[in-house]
Amino acid sequence: MRDLKTDYFEDIQLFRNKVQLFWCVVLLLFLFSYPFLVKAYYLTVFNLMAVNIIVALGLNLLIGNTGQISLGHAGFVAIGAYTTVLLLKSGVPFIVALIAAAIAAGFFGLLLGIPSLKLEGPYLAIATLAFGLAVTIIIGRMDFLGGRMGFSVPKINLTWTGLNYDRSLYYVILIITIISVFVARNILKSRIGRSFQAIRDSDIAASAIGVNITRYKLYSFAISAFYAGVAGSLWALYLGFINPTLFTFILSINFLAIVVIGGLGFITGSILGAVVMTYLNLQLQNVPDIPVIGPLLQQFSEAFMMPTGITNISWVLTGLILILIVLFEPLGLYGIWLRIRIYWKRWPF
Amino acid sequence: MGQLFQVHNLTKRFGGLTAINNLTFEVEEKEIFSIIGPNGAGKSTVFNCINGLYKPEEGTMLFKKQDLVGKRPDQIASLGIARTFQNLELFANMTTLDNLMLGRHKAMKAGIFSIAGLSIRRSPAAREEMANRRKVEEIIDFLELESARDVYVANLPYGKQKLVELGRALAMEPELILLDEPAAGLTQEEKEEMIYSIRDIRDLLGITVILIEHNMQMVKYISDRILAINFGKMITCGDVEDVLNHPEVISAYLGEETEEDVNTINE
Amino acid sequence: MLAQLLITSLVFGSIYALMALAMSITYKASEIPNFAQGEMAMISTYVTFVALSSFGMNFTLAILLTVAFAFVLGILLEFAFLRRAKDPTPLSYIVITIGFQLMLYGLAGWKWGSDQRQINLPFSESKVLYQTDSFAITELNLVTILIAVIVLILIYLLIQKTKLGLAMKACQQNVNAARMNGIPSDRILAISFGISSIVGATAGVLVAPLITLDPTMMWDPLLKGFAAAVLGGMKSLYGVVIGGFLLGIVENLFGFYISIEFKSVVAFLIIVIVLYFRPSGLFDKHYVRKV
Repeated sequence: MRDLKTDYFEDIQLFRNKVQLFWCVVLLLFLFSYPFLVKAYYLTVFNLMAVNIIVALGLNLLIGNTGQISLGHAGFVAIGAYTTVLLLKSGVPFIVALIAAAIAAGFFGLLLGIPSLKLEGPYLAIATLAFGLAVTIIIGRMDFLGGRMGFSVPKINLTWTGLNYDRSLYYVILIITIISVFVARNILKSRIGRSFQAIRDSDIAASAIGVNITRYKLYSFAISAFYAGVAGSLWALYLGFINPTLFTFILSINFLAIVVIGGLGFITGSILGAVVMTYLNLQLQNVPDIPVIGPLLQQFSEAFMMPTGITNISWVLTGLILILIVLFEPLGLYGIWLRIRIYWKRWPF
Repeated sequence: MGQLFQVHNLTKRFGGLTAINNLTFEVEEKEIFSIIGPNGAGKSTVFNCINGLYKPEEGTMLFKKQDLVGKRPDQIASLGIARTFQNLELFANMTTLDNLMLGRHKAMKAGIFSIAGLSIRRSPAAREEMANRRKVEEIIDFLELESARDVYVANLPYGKQKLVELGRALAMEPELILLDEPAAGLTQEEKEEMIYSIRDIRDLLGITVILIEHNMQMVKYISDRILAINFGKMITCGDVEDVLNHPEVISAYLGEETEEDVNTINE
Repeated sequence: MLAQLLITSLVFGSIYALMALAMSITYKASEIPNFAQGEMAMISTYVTFVALSSFGMNFTLAILLTVAFAFVLGILLEFAFLRRAKDPTPLSYIVITIGFQLMLYGLAGWKWGSDQRQINLPFSESKVLYQTDSFAITELNLVTILIAVIVLILIYLLIQKTKLGLAMKACQQNVNAARMNGIPSDRILAISFGISSIVGATAGVLVAPLITLDPTMMWDPLLKGFAAAVLGGMKSLYGVVIGGFLLGIVENLFGFYISIEFKSVVAFLIIVIVLYFRPSGLFDKHYVRKV
């Protein structure tokens, strides 16, 4: 049964109904008590998921909503990470470093956006790809950026929380992630988000109703890069070190995979994609530990493949899932989630 | 009534082809002005020039004393000119409501920072959103699109899609609206509804209409004045009866006729 | 020194031109930029390697095997994946080829690990054919350039002079019209992917002795080849070949005279600048949608 709407605000409010509000509160309660329920390793797992969620939110805004592809987001993440570390090293408080990192990345997003305005399809793909690669190469050759060896990241002062460092960091990352989701959601519901989608669906009509295409494409690039900058900043912080080899072309591809597998154009998609793919990739780092199929794969690997190369299964699987998603469920995990929900609501029919 | 829109000596070339040749016409305030002509006569090109998609080589287009030449489509849109397209340019993966809300784009001001507060009822962004939503609902009422409100436009039947596109143009609250073959592809019933809608747009909303249409019955019934063009040139411009009975207009539509043919027909 | 630089430029230019041509053949046929092109070439190169080292085949046989393998791999991509896409958008094609790329990359890493291997072709880099004070041509240099030129000519002849080439051109122009005239457009597309994969594999085998054989070996050649194709204009076969050689020359001159450090960056910088002024490359017309 559909809820009867009585007020225009109901279309833009955060939660559609009480049920949704309830589940969100449950989720938040869980997330806030999480550090006291699990071992430290699982905090890292969450942190990695959170970072991927933030990148995915931004990338999805660009690819899913504005219809512009980017294969260079690792570059923005790198810019965010390096800006943060440089500022932290010179004694700037973390919150300032975070904002500066995001703005720096956003600025480069704007810069990349300018030549990309007229580009489409493969041309845009190669331009963004080139950007991502150029960032990594340049960083690797700059001595004041640590060169190939990179930097270790100074710990920030979180003693005021009264918790240990890992847990405090967890809360910092959690809160920033929640804010990121919240802002992305409001962007999408607003005139700006609608303009992005207008450009995606028909740029000609968008300009005919008064959307300044140039400006909004640049917005989209800048916001997307801003998110990547925030993510890079947080990533550097919990990883404890950064070097150029972290931010390869394959990382950009990984971000693309998260967004596509999660569901293009949907915030829930970004979150689902990041959570599932991060978890999957972490699991596949230790293939033999996976119940049932783990040992089988291990045997197969010893018989026909190279046992040390077994972690490469995660690439094979990511590639396969990507293809299957495009072929069978273009809305990605979000689409699957929708189906389950509809099935559930209609049950037993 | 004053003149709202004047086109003077408009010329648009594509390489060697002159699509519009030295075209001059004026549109009065609150009239329904039709442009007719055979296929390929350059009608849609006129719209594309007015709306800024094409940049004409020569001529001026004065709308409320401002020259449109050299302005971007979005600037022209914010001056108060809306349009529809011959082959529908809708935002197919969005709902009717969102399509119409996009028509309000220029009327809304919320910037990148204020929209962060969208989900708070009393925030400026939310208030603006709701005020504009009210406007959109009026248009939904006006065009009777209630049943399509929350449907993705791609899933609507063609006739409804045409109405959504019209609604999106109306949501802009323009002073001048350009309709490119609004009745093409519609059923007889839908055509009649469209005719009433266009009349209402002028009579009730006070919007000036420029119309491209092939359906002569509709043109005859609805227009105040007609401009007939062929090969990008004006054949004639004026009152409905005069234009439709102009010999060159007739021959442009029916093909060249020799005197013998005419005699044969007359016999 | 300039002469030596020119030779290096031509060698790498040949590789880039082959990769660019491979990209262009399929892009022209289907508007699909094949991101798996590099990994397909890499796997094909491993086939040559295994045939030569593990099975001790003679060189001709190994090459024939590689060509057959590459052809089948190309057809597999089109037949098994690309053709199956429902309501495809340009993005979904890009994602499918990226998915295929990841799969091949993972498989290669799983099968052969990340060890760097040496591939032994019958023409070596150490054997100098001709030498003066200022430059030297090795056997490998010469063979690389020669083979590249031969492949380029073969592709030209294939497209210009054969019935298959005519059918390919027809499908590019208008798939439906081609189909109505009895051209099996699906099969033609699959064959285009097969041929493009062979061209890519040629680049892979030729570049393997210059760099080392490992799963990441084709990343750089692919990106440069792709960049060259974009530079020339993806749909112009002449354009992409010129783009390939141009990129080889610019890159090596820049690397020598200005900065070896930023050699790779300059290639991409040029691409971005060229695209800014000519959004569809140097030799391709930019298409604007009509309403």
